[in-house]
Amino acid sequence: MPRVFFREALSRAIAEEMEREPRLFLLGQDIAGHGGSYAETRGLFERFGPARVRNTPVAEAMTVGFAAGAAAAGLRAMAFITYLDFLMLGLDALVNYAAKLRFKSAGQLTAPMVVKATAGAKGQGPTHAQCIESWLMNVAGLTVLAPSTAGDAYGLLKSALRAPGPVVFIDHKKLFPYGGIVPEQEELIPIGTAAVRRVGRHLTLVAHSYMSVLALEAATQLAVSGIEAEVIDLRSLWPIDWDSLTISARHTGHLLVVEEGQVVCGVGAELAFGLRERVPELRVARLGARRMPVAASPALEAYAIPDVQAIVCAAQALLTRR
Amino acid sequence: MIPIELGDAIEVRLLLWCKTEGQLLKAGDTLLEFETDKALVLVSASQPAVLRRCFYREGEWMKPGDTVAWLSDEPGEPLPREGAVPGEQLLVAFDVT
Repeated sequence: MPRVFFREALSRAIAEEMEREPRLFLLGQDIAGHGGSYAETRGLFERFGPARVRNTPVAEAMTVGFAAGAAAAGLRAMAFITYLDFLMLGLDALVNYAAKLRFKSAGQLTAPMVVKATAGAKGQGPTHAQCIESWLMNVAGLTVLAPSTAGDAYGLLKSALRAPGPVVFIDHKKLFPYGGIVPEQEELIPIGTAAVRRVGRHLTLVAHSYMSVLALEAATQLAVSGIEAEVIDLRSLWPIDWDSLTISARHTGHLLVVEEGQVVCGVGAELAFGLRERVPELRVARLGARRMPVAASPALEAYAIPDVQAIVCAAQALLTRR
Repeated sequence: MIPIELGDAIEVRLLLWCKTEGQLLKAGDTLLEFETDKALVLVSASQPAVLRRCFYREGEWMKPGDTVAWLSDEPGEPLPREGAVPGEQLLVAFDVT
């Protein structure tokens, strides 16, 4: 099976879906001639033309609103928002129009659109580094995806581009330098399915996006001291794959949820409570960003968000807690 | 050796060998091209040398720090055993485009 860069997995998924669905068009900053902030749309403008690959001004509210309106009117839109932080400007159109459209119109209208945005800390400071996935999980009508591998990005983006309602597809700055395996033939990954990345019996480590990479590294370190962690990559933040998570939580009896966003009302809060409802004897712990903005300073950035060592320590603390 | 100071590159893909094993390189000759997630990198010889052994094929993936080729001053110079680390690492220049 071919090995590709993360960006190539995205561009292949988009190109295949644009071939399949002539109503699908793209819009966003620098996606046409420039080929996208991470070269993830390279070649698409040349291949599909200016009507289907449209540059937008630095105006995220307009970009998301335009996508929502076009989708409601019968097209299928994919909007590129450079950093997830900037989606805040487009939340009104996304939350109040796109996500609610199906409910407000009693199912007569839908907004089949994908908003792709890049999250995560990588030296770019407090307004270019945030992980606000949990805000989006809170919105009824929104699907939220956050893959961690090139293969999952490919398969999930294809599913997202066929979904009936709005999807926020979140990637991460630190995932782009990785290569990964994608299938030879076209393949979709169903929305709402988590992936067990490593099998273990002592605790369940749940993460998404780049934190899945760190969780796997932490599991490797934990194994040295005899702790076998089961690592589950959520992939889909909403809907949540409760079945897979519940099976693992029952098996290990201990749950550590790791995220790059804030712990307060975070992804981990929802998972911990939801799994305690399903597995009442489960011991849970959460790990996420400290309650501070992510700084541009490398030292302060590292202080703010979890790293491998923090995951290892939190896992050990969970297992030794009385 | 793939340059270690490659920003945040984690994996790179070898695109093109500009020389074949046994060929001579002048200082400044491009030896190979590889690709990071965001840049095309040309690796050039910083001094005259002979390309003795290529360890990766075009299209293969490598990591910063991997030995990609052995170069020697003279064509007949004995080579280290396979897998051995040569005593002297030849520095190569590289341009990021």
